[in-house]
Amino acid sequence: MVEMIICGRGGQGIVFLTRQMGQILTNKGINVISSETHGMAVRGGSINSHLRIGDFSSPLIRAGHAHYLVSLDPSETRNNRHFLSGDGVIIENAPTPDEPGIRRVDATRIARELGRVQLENVVLLGFASRVDGFPVTLEELKASMSKDPREMIRTSNLQALDAGSAAADA
Amino acid sequence: MTNKDSGDVRFLMGNEAIGRGALEAGCSVATAYPGTPSSEILESLVRWKKELDHPIYLEWSVNEKVAFEVAYGASLAGARAMTAMKMVGLNVASDPFTSAAYLGVRGGLVVAVADDPGPHSSQTEQDSRFFAWFAKVPVLDPGTPAEALKMTLRAFELSEKYQVPVLLRPCLRVCHARQNVPLSAPPPVANAGPFEKNWTRWAAIPKFRLALHGELNEKLKKIASEEPDAKPVLIHKGSGDSISVITSGSVSSHVKDVVAGDDRLKGVNVYKVDIPFPADAEALQQIVNRCEKTLVVEETYPVLELQIQDRRKVQGRLTGHVPSQGELIPELVEDMILQAAAIEPPVRETPKVKPRRPSLCAGCPHRPAFFMMRKIFDEAVYTGDIGCYTLGINMGAVDTCLCMGASVGMAGGFAKAFPNNGKSTVVGTIGDSTFYHSGVPALINAVHTGAQFVLLIMDNSTTAMTGGQPTPAHDRLIDGSPGMGVNMEKLIEGCGVRFTKVVDPYDHDAMTVALEAAKAHTFAENGGVSVVITRRPCVRTPDAQVLEERYEIGPDCDLCMTCVKDLECPAISYVVGEKRMEIDTDMCAGCGFCLHVCPSQAIRLKGD
Repeated sequence: MVEMIICGRGGQGIVFLTRQMGQILTNKGINVISSETHGMAVRGGSINSHLRIGDFSSPLIRAGHAHYLVSLDPSETRNNRHFLSGDGVIIENAPTPDEPGIRRVDATRIARELGRVQLENVVLLGFASRVDGFPVTLEELKASMSKDPREMIRTSNLQALDAGSAAADA
Repeated sequence: MTNKDSGDVRFLMGNEAIGRGALEAGCSVATAYPGTPSSEILESLVRWKKELDHPIYLEWSVNEKVAFEVAYGASLAGARAMTAMKMVGLNVASDPFTSAAYLGVRGGLVVAVADDPGPHSSQTEQDSRFFAWFAKVPVLDPGTPAEALKMTLRAFELSEKYQVPVLLRPCLRVCHARQNVPLSAPPPVANAGPFEKNWTRWAAIPKFRLALHGELNEKLKKIASEEPDAKPVLIHKGSGDSISVITSGSVSSHVKDVVAGDDRLKGVNVYKVDIPFPADAEALQQIVNRCEKTLVVEETYPVLELQIQDRRKVQGRLTGHVPSQGELIPELVEDMILQAAAIEPPVRETPKVKPRRPSLCAGCPHRPAFFMMRKIFDEAVYTGDIGCYTLGINMGAVDTCLCMGASVGMAGGFAKAFPNNGKSTVVGTIGDSTFYHSGVPALINAVHTGAQFVLLIMDNSTTAMTGGQPTPAHDRLIDGSPGMGVNMEKLIEGCGVRFTKVVDPYDHDAMTVALEAAKAHTFAENGGVSVVITRRPCVRTPDAQVLEERYEIGPDCDLCMTCVKDLECPAISYVVGEKRMEIDTDMCAGCGFCLHVCPSQAIRLKGD
């Protein structure tokens, strides 16, 4: 059983990440349930998704229960930190170095270098897939995203996953 | 149609599961008006239709009342039909909805109404189960996306069996949850046979309505006593009979997880009711009688609780054990159940959450329209409406927001209350989709009564807030089939408006001229309502013009903050520690309106 919060600002592609992981786990026959933010907040407001893997009925994570907090924006990390359990791990898009319990990657910079800042979510996911115990692997993500029929999006998403993963080795 | 989906399991949103369920029930007509959290029901049907090459007819109707009536007509014609809306949409459709309960249906008719406890993106926290009770319509309350699919099928079955409309009430935590959902192949579409005329039923006058009311009451009694899902079902068995929780809908999933995940609660029984109205009240009473204590946890009104006759051993909303407002999040549910079990709930620190304020997008055509409106009309009263442009509150450009279309009706009221007070000018703002939805009758009223106010119709050629659904101005229906675009200017002219101007909100000078002319017309001696249509496609739609220009802030900036406070552009921000302003070129959409706004003329084209 793994519980994960994915957070950021409206427009950063939080729902896309949640759906990617959910569909991969669904295809493996694993129970998964998630909750998304829609409505007014998507106009640049605070956004989070809850992803619960295992035998759950509710799509919502209680405070202090999340194993991972994947954050596209450090200010949103603060808004969601209460969900994290004592030994939970933060995976954050930020230019600053790692700290105990916090793995960081400058996904925005890497995405911009790839030509599209909008890829920052996929870069962060590629990086997260290399974190210990993360519930989906880089190979699973690549296999899933390589099914996108739109060539440009497929190619750039695969590049972004690799770039995020490479940053975990750096 | 193909069978290729048999055995298929997908990670589906609750709304997508409801759309899928309609097809798996043989539905052939579906209508909706968009509204969070319901919009993806019809959107998913558009995708399912394409994927399965299914013959279902789909429309985004002009409003929820019409959406209901189209679906109802289809049901009388013999089709299985569905209409989808958010809970405040049911208020708009309440007239046909309550009347249809008496008349009944032919083909199964399912009214999918999404509730928004919280509220997260709505005006009210009303409980559509309670509305169903008021209208005497049976209601199904799914707890998860997978259940939502099954209950959609069940709703059609019940509707046809009892010849009544059936309400399907998913809450936001079902609508916008995703889960592995198994799919089945849709059957051929259902057909209840051709319509047979019978005015004593389908056009019943009051004399026959009395008999129909009696028939409806009998149907409800039968559902409550005979249908298994009107009875409480034990979904988690406890070790004794000391405490039971009775629950329904999305909150039941929190209840189940909380009880199943805590050894201290192993004595607690959890019962779930899938048809909360008309529920089997006797079966509920038996649980209450058998247990020392029964806690009723439901969203958002005490529907099950009120159906229990002897409530002396019941805790719930009526006793103050469950809060009367706000979403029942899992932490609250946990605390309530622990308290009922006489266990001290954990000490909870209030999380230090500072939610980011939503804002109109960079390049949004509403922003310059609001800015110019404020500049020309200054201290006027601004009646606002429902849509992205409610965010005009950030710019001091929205003083009231009541419900769909109210900007126009309320502007009339403001204008009539103080007709000779020159200071109280009134300006209304309404989006194109909202104008078609319910602004038109109010505009006719304003023309007829000579109300003196200016109306800005902010036409971005889409229903932007809910994800970009088409409006009646489009000449294609949502599945790409041909429709007839309803011309906005002709419609306004037909309402009798004597002053209408169409203007590009990015065009500073043209906006000034149009708003000044509207002001002169409206507030002249024999003036009346004037309409300015600010027209430019939403930046989030494919029709949006892509602008490559980017701007920067030069050395003349004196940090007056006009661009941040009055224009409220999210691409412009103050760089803390460096005492300067910055334009985020990733976010900037190149509208360049900030050039006209900066009092120091410090903003310039980048690279100049």
